[in-house]
Amino acid sequence: MIVSERKPLAEIRRMIAPYQRLLTLGCGTCATVCGAGGEREVSFLNSALRVAQAKSGNETHTLSEYTVKRQCDLEFLDPLVEKVGDIDAILALSCGIGMQVIAERFPDMPVLPGVNTSFMGAVDEYGVWDERCAACGDCRLEETGGICPITRCTKGILNGPCAGTKDGKCEVSKDMDCGWILIYKRLEGLGQLEKMRRYYPPRNFRTIPRPKRIISQANIDTGEDND
Amino acid sequence: MYSAVTDNTQQNQGNRTKKSSTDHSLMPPCQATCPLHMDIREYVDLVAQGKIMEALQVIRDDNPFPSICAYVCDYPCEDTCRRCQVDKPVAIRMLKRFAVEFGGDRMIQVKAETTHRERVAIVGSGPAGLSVAYYLRKLGYPVTVFEADSKPGGMLRVGIPEYRLPPKIIDTEIQRLIQMGVEIKVNTRVVSLDRLFDMGYQAVFVAIGAHQGRKLRIPGADLDDTWTAVSFLRNARLKQKGNIGEKVVVLGGGNVAFDCARTARRSGAKEMHIACLEPRDEMLADAPEIEQAEEEGIVIHPSRTFTRIIDKDGHVAGVECLKLRSMEFDKEGKLHLDIIEGSEHSLAADTVIFAIGQCPDLNLFSGLSGLEVTKQGTIVIDQATLSTHHPGIFAGGDVVTGTASVTQALATGREAAFRINDYLQHRYPLAGKEAEENPLGDLFPETVETIRKTERLEPSILPTEARVKSFEAVELVYDWEAATEEARRCLHCGTGAEILFQDKCATCLACLRVCPYHVPYLDDSGTIQIPADQCQACGICVAECPAKAIVLRKPYGRQQISEELDHIVKAAAQLNLKPLIIGFCCQYGLSGTGTLASLRRGAKAGIWIVPVLCAAKVEAEQLLYAFEMGAEGVFVAGCGEQCARENIAFWVRQHVEKVRKTLAQIGLEPERLEAFNLSATDEEPVKALNSFTEKIGELCFASVITQEVKR
Ligand SMILES: Cc1cc2nc3c(=O)[nH]c(=O)nc-3n(C[C@H](O)[C@H](O)[C@H](O)COP(=O)(O)OP(=O)(O)OC[C@H]3O[C@@H](n4cnc5c(N)ncnc54)[C@H](O)[C@@H]3O)c2cc1C
Ligand code: SF4
Ligand code: SF4
Ligand code: SF4
Repeated sequence: MIVSERKPLAEIRRMIAPYQRLLTLGCGTCATVCGAGGEREVSFLNSALRVAQAKSGNETHTLSEYTVKRQCDLEFLDPLVEKVGDIDAILALSCGIGMQVIAERFPDMPVLPGVNTSFMGAVDEYGVWDERCAACGDCRLEETGGICPITRCTKGILNGPCAGTKDGKCEVSKDMDCGWILIYKRLEGLGQLEKMRRYYPPRNFRTIPRPKRIISQANIDTGEDND
Repeated sequence: MYSAVTDNTQQNQGNRTKKSSTDHSLMPPCQATCPLHMDIREYVDLVAQGKIMEALQVIRDDNPFPSICAYVCDYPCEDTCRRCQVDKPVAIRMLKRFAVEFGGDRMIQVKAETTHRERVAIVGSGPAGLSVAYYLRKLGYPVTVFEADSKPGGMLRVGIPEYRLPPKIIDTEIQRLIQMGVEIKVNTRVVSLDRLFDMGYQAVFVAIGAHQGRKLRIPGADLDDTWTAVSFLRNARLKQKGNIGEKVVVLGGGNVAFDCARTARRSGAKEMHIACLEPRDEMLADAPEIEQAEEEGIVIHPSRTFTRIIDKDGHVAGVECLKLRSMEFDKEGKLHLDIIEGSEHSLAADTVIFAIGQCPDLNLFSGLSGLEVTKQGTIVIDQATLSTHHPGIFAGGDVVTGTASVTQALATGREAAFRINDYLQHRYPLAGKEAEENPLGDLFPETVETIRKTERLEPSILPTEARVKSFEAVELVYDWEAATEEARRCLHCGTGAEILFQDKCATCLACLRVCPYHVPYLDDSGTIQIPADQCQACGICVAECPAKAIVLRKPYGRQQISEELDHIVKAAAQLNLKPLIIGFCCQYGLSGTGTLASLRRGAKAGIWIVPVLCAAKVEAEQLLYAFEMGAEGVFVAGCGEQCARENIAFWVRQHVEKVRKTLAQIGLEPERLEAFNLSATDEEPVKALNSFTEKIGELCFASVITQEVKR
């Protein structure tokens, strides 16, 4: 699933500033599942924007809301046809794909991203998502026991573990599992440890910090969250 | 689509006790078992909120004489209450008694107008007859009740002892019926039903009960000092001094036997014994009845059979008994006794009472053709129309069923009134109106494990010494605190979550992950299901579902809160009081009754309360919406320590934290939003609230949220 996260309010307010009438548009699929752009978040965001505008006292946006089943397919956007006449811009709470489909469907309509499309991942526990795939386009999971070294090893190395592994954790953070130890254990379980002993030639990757994690729920016990 | 604050259009604005169009709740087993199908869940919930008058209103909607049921109903509802699976049933009958007494049932007047010309005669003024009279009057018929005794009430008056049902309770109900225009002719035994038709009555309801006591066919059973239970109790209640001796032995092990023994105790007997066939743990009487009787000094002799009443010079001298190893009824209902050889013994007695059942006395009606009677002496009726084979003659209550129960008689009476109405209006009987719905199934063991166990609170009873001295009522009524506490034990069966908008569900599994009771599950086709009979209606998933696809079957949650919030915002705008502080406060338990009101009075600023049924049902959007509508400060107050659930505080704080974070992003002080536990003993609520309002006052001074909101 594509995981996204709502943009900071200040950024959204800056984006919408030039437009008077806005439609906040939710997506009923991935964005709903990850809690960033479903019907609930759409009305929460609009409410937050209204409070903000009441506070500032000099903004006069009109905010409406709607949620389609999926923004990344043109057909689902049909109900918007009659709405776009009354608005100046769409504030989309969907992944970048959805936003681009909207832009394509309504060439004259500015589309503003209300969320950051963060990664492709899976849920760890309620409200916690972990990155699982980098969409590298050359999947090697067969060799690594079904565990992706690109996303789950902080350094994304293909021949791990590196010297920074300690007690199964990564040197970058004590709380982070070493992806390559996970791979080792899994291969051990499968009786395929010989796969660890092979050399995998390097590939060209962008160097981006990984894995990412989003915690949307406030963690009451530890006070830990993304901010 | 569906939105947090505008989806209240179809909400029933009026009387909240009436079912609204959004109420999809399913019938809980308590209601299904109650012969009157009373909306127990609803009135128990209203008691839990301290809304006693409203609770009484709900009770009165389905019960003509709630004060009588409050004392003597045999409460089959408690046997099927789903709390039994967790710990002990909700004390339904005593909660009704609380509502009836504290809600002022005595003062209620029921109006009835005559809109029909057809007159109806009712024979017998027991609960069945009085119930028909009540409902026929409400339907607009002139009715006359004929009663052979000197006072109306039937078994209520001459059977059930005063210490279980004070006569003033019956008097109040009779008075109410007379005010409604019911004519009651006492000292009038009907001997011919045909005569009633001659007198111009167009329909007759026969409710003469079962007053013919039975005796065992053993030698000595007809001696002078032997009684049947009904005649003994009748004498006691009508204060006709019978010859109650000093040593009384009651034969039989049901509630009536205990009524006899305990009445004998109060009438001056020195020794009271109860002897019965059943072994001790299979006795038919209710457990509290047995316990209280033993406290009063009544000795129980279980597992006995009786061979003879000992005759000494024409007087009773004792009962000859044999001990039983076991007893059993076979498939045909025939009794088999396994007698212990050589166990002959006798119980000394000068009075013996047979409490082994009673049957109707139909000999009274001579010369009426067409009335079919069973072997047991009960009248045969058509189950759908409640009519006998004689057109225009209906029957119900004990005369049809044999000795049953008061509530059963009331229910038959209500049903009969509708069937008589059908008959008189030449309508095809609209039977099945009260047909059973499918009651909810049992809780799964996994669900049971997750439900917090709470102790059943029993109201106190009169101390033994006080009760044996007089016929004063034994059971006392709850006080306010105990009643609201006990009422909170109800599991709200059948009001839980429902995925109302399946097409919106993204199958995100949030509901499955957050449910504290592990109720939602994925079915084989990958669709999320929330089984109605397991859901505990906590509303947590409703507030979490990102697609807003879930609603509660009873509109306790989002809709109700949004509606109240809108209402308050409007009212506050009119008064234009500043700063506006909105508090979402749990209505359950004491916080719903006293604390809240005193808080509002005690606190310094103008605080507006949105009543909620559990603080966890307040969604983050609603907190934010309060700010949007001009609140300078918002707080959520749970009921604290006495909460019936475990995870509420956690979810309240989740919602609060989410909004606080947003406030900070807007540049507003997060302290404008606060969560309190109102009734936590270590917190001083007024003080906490005052310091909150002071803080808001200060913040407000520094920066006011502009209230002109454009939408
Ligand atoms: C000792 C005892 C204790 C009980 N305790 C309970 C209890 O705690 N809870 C409970 O739910 N149930 C209890 N019951 C059962 C309950 O009382 C009966 O099921 C109920 O009263 C039946 O109501 P009814 O209207 O059919 O008849 P009844 O209450 O028996 O009333 C019949 C009336 O008809 C009158 N009548 C008879 N013949 C004529 C005639 N020819 N003309 C005019 N009037 C006539 C009688 O005088 C009587 O007043 C008890 C029964 C007994 C005997
Ligand atoms: S828990 Fe409440 S609703 Fe459920 S059966 Fe018992 S009294 Fe009825
Ligand atoms: S929380 Fe809502 S969207 Fe998610 S599975 Fe449950 S019903 Fe569906
Ligand atoms: S309302 Fe509560 S008990 Fe019912 S499914 Fe939702 S979370 Fe579970």
